[in-house]
Amino acid sequence: MAIFRKKEIATNEFDQVIVGTSLTKEAWKRLKKNKLAVVGGVIVIIYALVALCADLLPLYPYDQAVTSHRNLRPSLTKTAGELMMEQEMKNLFFQAWRGGRLELSDEEDAQIETWIQQSKTNNVWDLVYARGMQAIEEGTFEWNSSEQRRIDNLLEDIETETLITINSVSAPVDGEMVSIEDMDYDTILSLYAQLIGADIELVSQSMYNEVSAAVTNELRANDSSLTGEDLTAAVEMEMDAMGETAFQNRAVQNIIGYIEQIAQRSASSDINSLITSGQAQLPYRGTFDLSNGLHVELEVSRVHERRYICGTDYLGRDLLSRIIYGSQISIAIGLVGTITSIFIGILVGALAGYLGGKVDYYLMRFVDIMYGLPYMLLVIICMAIFGRNIINLFFALALVSWLTIARMVRGQIMSLKNQEYVEAARSMGGSTMHIIFRHMIPNSLSIIIVYSTIRIPAFIMQESFLSFLGLGVQAPYASWGSLIGDAVSSMALYPYKLIIPSIIMVIFLFSMNFLGDGLRDAFDPQSKNQL
Amino acid sequence: MENKEIILSVRNLKQHFPIDEGGILKKTVGFIRAVDGISFDVYKGETVGIVGESGCGKSTTVRSIAQLYKPTTGEILFHGVDLCKADKDTLLKERRNIQMIFQDPYASLDPRMTVRNIIMEPLRTYNRRGLLEKKYTEDELEERVKDLMEKVGINKAFVNRYPHEFSGGQRQRIGIARALALNPEIILADEPVSALDVSIQAQILNLISDIQKDMGVTFIFIAHDLGVIQHISHRVIVMYLGKIMEISSSDELYSNPLHPYTEALLSAAPIPDPKIERNRKRIVLEGDVPSPDKERHCCYFYDRCSKRMDKCASCVPPMFDCGNDHKVACFLYDDRPVAEEADDTLTEEEQKLKAKEARKHKKD
Repeated sequence: MAIFRKKEIATNEFDQVIVGTSLTKEAWKRLKKNKLAVVGGVIVIIYALVALCADLLPLYPYDQAVTSHRNLRPSLTKTAGELMMEQEMKNLFFQAWRGGRLELSDEEDAQIETWIQQSKTNNVWDLVYARGMQAIEEGTFEWNSSEQRRIDNLLEDIETETLITINSVSAPVDGEMVSIEDMDYDTILSLYAQLIGADIELVSQSMYNEVSAAVTNELRANDSSLTGEDLTAAVEMEMDAMGETAFQNRAVQNIIGYIEQIAQRSASSDINSLITSGQAQLPYRGTFDLSNGLHVELEVSRVHERRYICGTDYLGRDLLSRIIYGSQISIAIGLVGTITSIFIGILVGALAGYLGGKVDYYLMRFVDIMYGLPYMLLVIICMAIFGRNIINLFFALALVSWLTIARMVRGQIMSLKNQEYVEAARSMGGSTMHIIFRHMIPNSLSIIIVYSTIRIPAFIMQESFLSFLGLGVQAPYASWGSLIGDAVSSMALYPYKLIIPSIIMVIFLFSMNFLGDGLRDAFDPQSKNQL
Repeated sequence: MENKEIILSVRNLKQHFPIDEGGILKKTVGFIRAVDGISFDVYKGETVGIVGESGCGKSTTVRSIAQLYKPTTGEILFHGVDLCKADKDTLLKERRNIQMIFQDPYASLDPRMTVRNIIMEPLRTYNRRGLLEKKYTEDELEERVKDLMEKVGINKAFVNRYPHEFSGGQRQRIGIARALALNPEIILADEPVSALDVSIQAQILNLISDIQKDMGVTFIFIAHDLGVIQHISHRVIVMYLGKIMEISSSDELYSNPLHPYTEALLSAAPIPDPKIERNRKRIVLEGDVPSPDKERHCCYFYDRCSKRMDKCASCVPPMFDCGNDHKVACFLYDDRPVAEEADDTLTEEEQKLKAKEARKHKKD
């Protein structure tokens, strides 16, 4: 077709090149003139790139919880260790103030009392810390022995504690090294049995028990009224219904966890001796072989030398990493949801618009009925029925969001159907498919593109809303909405946890909206003052 | 013009559009009789002009001929083949020889296609199905597009341009080039100049005349500008309310209008000379064009005719042959031989509807 033909340039009699300007080209020109839209577009692209390349960025794993790093504030300059020390000292100073050993002026005392009543803990801590440090410098305050001991212990921990991250575990299978994540159930089971020196039958039995215990817990969480025999029966039914592959998948996940734990444990003593003897420098990247030939690649680092630019959450996970991985999910939901809804919308809309008559009538009444139902409620019910995972979330959102686009496409197709150029194409013997694909879709594409750019932020908002309610993305995954939802409960104490994801999300939504507005103005200049 | 060959023959063509009411339980409550039983012949190489007020069925006639609408009843014989009953393949083959030029040059070209693609579209469609003289290669088609562009007076360097980069006149030329692309025998021009400026109108009309002289294409030309029709057509059909009032050669019609409606129509056209224009007596018709949704068993022009007689109210006038190829549907000339009987029978659907209503009345 025309696209694959060699590009020839038409010239007039003076050899001046004459190239046509298509509507798309003109729209692009107009878009480039719109600064706000360009800035929005650039920001959106940056977001998309960062989200796409999250695995390549030097980020801490988003699901790695470091227990001692809980609720660290964001800091560009201080390491986690320093922040931990600061926090510890704040506590100690506060206790000293309570015990009357740290003396402040009367106004400051009164101020602290009011802050405590208003539960402005951060203010209290900051003031006490500042005054305490001042007092130590002036020599008017000294730690007592127990406090000194706590500080020393913490200091030692900060200096010595290491974190072993298992990057991969592999084992030789038929002479080749295979990662345990790619192995089938039987191989991994026998490897694990070998590792712990137990009988395969026993291990297999215990795996079954573990999975059924997990199922029991899930059932109990869903329906607290289940007890005794009912519960046992339900578990049995569930286990039967699960099927071989589903069971094996769950068991494999468990075994991988165990193997990594064992690897961590057995590696730590060796590595520590290496470090204390000065043979290894931290951070250390190396390999380690387990007794049965399992080959472990690991990374050892000083855990308290980490820097958390955006702080950490209540489990000690890096917030920056969680935000970036969360943006992956949020943006993906925006895109996939929009694409799905556009696909359904175009199909239904084009059918209704082109065929008209009864088909049109029934389809549109169906759309009307769907419009009448409370939208969010429908999604929530869907999530409740089909279970809470990302795929269902996509599905539930797409299911109810194609309505507007179906109406829009229908209107567009109906108006195009009576255009003279479509009649011309028919009078020239063009088939229905030819007319739809060559005339109708290209002519309604611009409005679809514009609409979908405006839809993406709406999808992200809906997903965030669901995640905020706890119906969306489940741990350990994160999305912008779930991050904000998690942060709300500790809003007063750790405002950064709420503010940072919110700002990130707001910037993206703004950029997307500006881009969408810009696209609309570019593609359809007349509609500028209408919508 | 002696021994003229009939190329297209329309026999008792009716085009009725149903008026529907209600949503799910749709029922037809009546019909718009856009074209209500017309017959005429078109000879090879001539230009037939169709005139009439807005809504008299000119465009519908042409679109029915082009098979954009499926006619309710009647025959459209093209080289003896009835297009209404032709199957898909025959229709496609015959359609090649019947092309259209549209009224609005801004709406009749796809804004997302280049001029090349617009003109090539019919060629590609027919080439792909092997319905052209031979299989053309893409380069040959390209050549043909450029020839066509030269023929209609557009710089062939503009092939890559888009319709919005041209003026109205240029767009209409592109439309003409597209209609010419398949070398049709007959071109249906649906008010091709009414959307253009007067100076451009002249250019387009001259272009059409030239094309006719060069290629011997037959034209059916619609306009509501009587001057344009006089200038371009050999024969003229005057339509009113979906019926033909008068058919005649152009010179005869303008010098000797027979039907009262034609007289009124001609008197409404301004004469470009202030002196004559001021002194001329104009026939002003009273009232509006009646709605075409009623069944009529009288002369269609009865309501507004200045010369109406009792006879006119009782039956539809047949076409009277006044000699010199002049036919008129008016009882003023009932001393002349009847050329064609008027047909006021109902279509099947209408009969069904009427029967239904009659049953309903009986119940009441």
